Amino acid sequence: MDIKIPDTWLRDFLKTKATSSEVAKYLSLSGPSVEKIEKSVYFIEVTTNRVDIASVVGVAREAAAILPQFGVKARLQPVKLPLLKFSNKVGYLEAEVNHNLCPRFSAVLIKNVQIGQSPDWMKDRLAAVGVRPINNVVDISNYVMHELGQPVHTFDYDKIRGAKMILMESRKGERLTTLDGKTHTLSGGDIVIEDGEGRLIDLAGIMGGGNSAVDEGTKNVLLFVQTYNPVNIRQTSMSLAQRTEAATLFEKGLDPELVTDGIGRGIELFVKLTGGKAEKEILDIYPNPYKAKKVTTDIDFIASRLGTGVEKEKISQILRSLGFETAWRGKILEVLVPSFRAGDIEIPEDVVEEIARLYGYHNLPSELMPGDLPEPLKDAPFGFEEKVKNILKGYGGVEVYTFSLVALEEAPTGLKLKNPLGKESEYLRTSLMPSLLTAARQNAGEKEPFHLFEMANVYLPKKGDLPDEKMTLGGIVGELNVKSEIFSEDAAHYLPNRHIYLKVKGKILGEFGELSQGYLYYEFDAEALREAYREIESFKPIPKYPAQIEDLTFSFPSRTKIGEVIDYVFSSNKSVAKMELGDIYNENYTFRLWYQHPDKTLTDIEVEKVRNQLTKGLKNKFGAIVKS
Amino acid sequence: MREEIISTKNEAMAQIMDADSSAELEELRISYLGRSGKLTSLIKRLKEIPGEERKEVGILINDSKSAIESLLAEQKNKLGEVAREWFDPTIPGIKPKRGHLHLITKAIGEISETFKQIGFVRVRYPEAEWDWFAFEGLNMPKAHPARDEWETFFVDTSAHPTYGQIVLTPHTSSGQIREMKRVKTPPIRMINIAKCYRRQIDASHVPMFHQFEGLVIDKGISVAHLKGTLDYFARNFFGKERKTRLRPFHFQFTEPSFEVDVTCGICLGKGCKVCKEGWLELGGAGMVHPTVLKNGGIDPKVYSGFAFGWGVERTYMMKSGLSIPDIRLLYSSDLGFLKQF
Repeated sequence: MDIKIPDTWLRDFLKTKATSSEVAKYLSLSGPSVEKIEKSVYFIEVTTNRVDIASVVGVAREAAAILPQFGVKARLQPVKLPLLKFSNKVGYLEAEVNHNLCPRFSAVLIKNVQIGQSPDWMKDRLAAVGVRPINNVVDISNYVMHELGQPVHTFDYDKIRGAKMILMESRKGERLTTLDGKTHTLSGGDIVIEDGEGRLIDLAGIMGGGNSAVDEGTKNVLLFVQTYNPVNIRQTSMSLAQRTEAATLFEKGLDPELVTDGIGRGIELFVKLTGGKAEKEILDIYPNPYKAKKVTTDIDFIASRLGTGVEKEKISQILRSLGFETAWRGKILEVLVPSFRAGDIEIPEDVVEEIARLYGYHNLPSELMPGDLPEPLKDAPFGFEEKVKNILKGYGGVEVYTFSLVALEEAPTGLKLKNPLGKESEYLRTSLMPSLLTAARQNAGEKEPFHLFEMANVYLPKKGDLPDEKMTLGGIVGELNVKSEIFSEDAAHYLPNRHIYLKVKGKILGEFGELSQGYLYYEFDAEALREAYREIESFKPIPKYPAQIEDLTFSFPSRTKIGEVIDYVFSSNKSVAKMELGDIYNENYTFRLWYQHPDKTLTDIEVEKVRNQLTKGLKNKFGAIVKS
Repeated sequence: MREEIISTKNEAMAQIMDADSSAELEELRISYLGRSGKLTSLIKRLKEIPGEERKEVGILINDSKSAIESLLAEQKNKLGEVAREWFDPTIPGIKPKRGHLHLITKAIGEISETFKQIGFVRVRYPEAEWDWFAFEGLNMPKAHPARDEWETFFVDTSAHPTYGQIVLTPHTSSGQIREMKRVKTPPIRMINIAKCYRRQIDASHVPMFHQFEGLVIDKGISVAHLKGTLDYFARNFFGKERKTRLRPFHFQFTEPSFEVDVTCGICLGKGCKVCKEGWLELGGAGMVHPTVLKNGGIDPKVYSGFAFGWGVERTYMMKSGLSIPDIRLLYSSDLGFLKQF
C-alpha cells in the first residue's frame, strides 16, 4: 500500500535537522521506500508486513532509528496523551464482545458535540494526504487514522438502541446498509455489531452502518477504537469489494496497544475541536494484553547470514533503536519484540533483517559463492530451440511473440480462465495457428513475401491434472507465389490435398500445408522434433571418384506423386548418388542426376546402362516419358 | 627463351605506362595476358624446355606476369575520373533476405549466457501451475493480503485436493520448490526463464510477459553472495562500470527481502532525468525463507539460499537503452517493428 506523509506533520514527531530529501534517501536505503517527494509530501510504499509504519508516527519512529545510522541526529517525539482511565465496565454502554473477533474493544462517550468545520491546519493536512475534509467529527477520525495508523469510528450515540452492543459473527444472508448507502447481503463470518434491539449497526472494521451514522443533528458521539481479527476483515472486504482504508489496515493485523493512543488522541481532538465533553471512564475490553514475544538467535547465525561479523554492542544498539529489548548469554541473543512488531518478527531470520538493514546493506561484502557447481540439466531443450530459431532466421523468418490467451473460437478445446480480462483472451491456446493468422493479417499491406514464426507453449487440457505444456513451433508464410504440391491427408483449416503430416517412426512431428486464407502454415511439436534430431550424423567419406551429372526431363500422367518418383529412383538404383528437381513446365519435370560409384569413375557406357534402367523403370511404374 | 620473356615484359610495361584510358589498358591486358596473349603463348611453350631449366624459366614467366598485372592495376588507379571505367558505388545493392530473432529471444539468450558463466543451470517449469507452488508453498496462505501484489489468473477447472486451483504463474518463483524437489540435495544454482501472466494491461504492463528467476542454495549462503552475484550480473550484462544496491523490501517467501537497483546507464549514478537519483529499479530478491526450504524438502538448519526474480523485458530495456514507449509493442506482429532488430 502507498501512503502520503506531509513533511510538517512528520516533524511533529520526528525531531531532526535533516532535509526532507535526506530523510527520503535514508528511509529508502534502510526502511520503507520513498517513491518521491511532491509539494513537501512523501509518497511511501509500505509492504504488507509493516502495517506499523503505515502512519505519520510509524514513519517518524522508523526514521528516528535509521537517520542516526547515517550520522544524522534524530529523535522520536512520542504522542502526548491526556490522562486516561480505562475500565471494562461503564455505565453508558453495555458490550458483549467475541474476543476472537475483537481482541481489544474500546469506546468512550463524548457528549454535547458541536458539529462544524475543522480548523484549516487539519483540513490542509487531510487534503495533502488525499482525504476530503467533511466536518470536524469525520475529520478527526480520518486525522487520527493517518497520524497513528489506527482506524477510528464514530457512532451517533443516541441511535444505538438500548445503549447496548453485541459484537459477533454475521449469519449467512443477513443484510446491512453501510453509511455509503450500499446494502450488502452477508455471506456469514463477517464481524458485525448488533444494538439492543437486534439491529445490525456496524460492518465492523470495514464501514459503519447507515442507521447509526453521525449526521448534522448528532449531539452525542461514541468514539470507537478496536482491533479486529485480520482474517475476518480481509474475507469480508474482499468478498464485498469494500476496500476501505480501515479495512486495508485491519486486515494486516494491528497492534492492540495502539488502541490506547487512538482513543487518547481522539478524546483530545474531540474536546479541542467540537467542544464535547468526554466521559471520565473509557470502556476497554482487553482480556489478553500484549506480553512481549521472545525470539532467540546467536551471533554465529547472524554472521553466517550476513556474510560478515557484526559486534554484539552494535547489534544491541540497532535492535534497541527499533524498540526491541536485547539480552546476551554468551553467543546467544534473546530479543523481546515490541507490540507493534509482533505480527512481523517471528524467527531468527526476521531479526537478521532488522540488523542488516540498519547496519546498511551497502556495508556488507559482495562476493561470489564458493562451493561445488550443480550438475547440468540432463537433456536440456534450450540449445536445440535456439538452433531451430537460428535456422529459420537464416531462411529469412521473422520471429514473433504473440499472446497465449485467445478467444473461444480460437481454442474451442482449450482451458478457460475464471477471471479473464475479456472475451478475446478467455482461453489458453492449443495451437499457434490462430495467433499466427492474426499476425499475418496485421501485415496484409506488406509488398514483399514474408515468413513469421514463433516457438511457444500450447496448453492441452488433461483431466484432473495440469495441462500438457507442449513447446510448439509454428510458422506462416504470407503472399508467396509458391506452386508446391502437397499431398496426403486433408485437415481442418487447410485446402483439400494441400496438407501433410511429417512423421518419424510413426510419430507425428508436425504438419504443413496451405490454409484456406492463402497462407502457407507449419506447426511442429518442438520436443518430438528434438527427439528425432541427431546432433552429429556419422561421418561419410567424401567420394574419391567424380560424379557424372546430367539433366533428364520426363513427362508424367497427371496426378503423379513426384515424391514417390524420387523415392523409387533411389531405391531402384545404387549408382544415383543425388537427384534434384529443377524446372516444372507443363507436366514436364526436369531432374538433375548425379551418377557416382564409390570405387571408380563411371564410364559413359556404364552411365548409359544406369540411365536406360532408370527410364525403363519409370515408364513401367509411373508411365513416364523421357523428353530429352 | 629467357630474352624473349624479358623483352616481352619490357615491351608490355612500356606500353602500359603510355596508356591513358581504361579501354586501352584492357586491350593491352588481352594482348599480353589473354588466352592467346604474348606472354600466355610463352607459358604454353614451357613444356618444350628440358628439366632443371624449365623450373627457372617458369619462375621468370610468373614474375613477369605478376609485374605486368600489378602495373596494369596501378596504371588504372592513376587514370583521371573521365578516363576510368564508369562504376556507381551508390546504387542500392540486391540485399539477401534477412531474418530476425525477437528482442525477447535475444534477451533470454544473453541473460542465460551470463548466469551460465557462474555455473547456473537453466530450467523451465509449468506456466499453468498449482496454486500451492505459486503461493501456498511460498508461504502465502489463501487469504494472505500479500497475494494482492500478484493479479493472478485462475483456470476454470476443479481444484487439486492438496495443491489447490490451477493458476497461470504470476511469477517464476513458482519454480523454486519444483527445483528443490528436482535436485533434492544442494548445491542448487538455477536460472528459470518462463512466461508469466498477470491481470493487467497498460503502457508498462502486459498480461503475458517473461521473468527470469535465480535460485542458489548451498551451505553457508549469505547476503554477501547475493550481492556478489548481482554485481557480477550487472557488470557482465549491463557493462563493467554498473553497480547494484539492495534496499529493504518484503516478500513472504524470502527473509530478509530486498529491492534491487542498478546504477543508471546514462548518468552512472549521478542522477539524471531518466533515473531516480542515479538508480533504476531492477526487481525483487531475498534470502530464501526457511519455510520455503522446508516445503521444498531441504533442511533449513543445514542449508540457506537466495533468490531473485525479474522481468526479462524490463531488464533488457534497461540494458539496451531502447526507449520503447509502450511495452505492448513488443508483442505486436508488425513487421515494421520486428525488422528493426
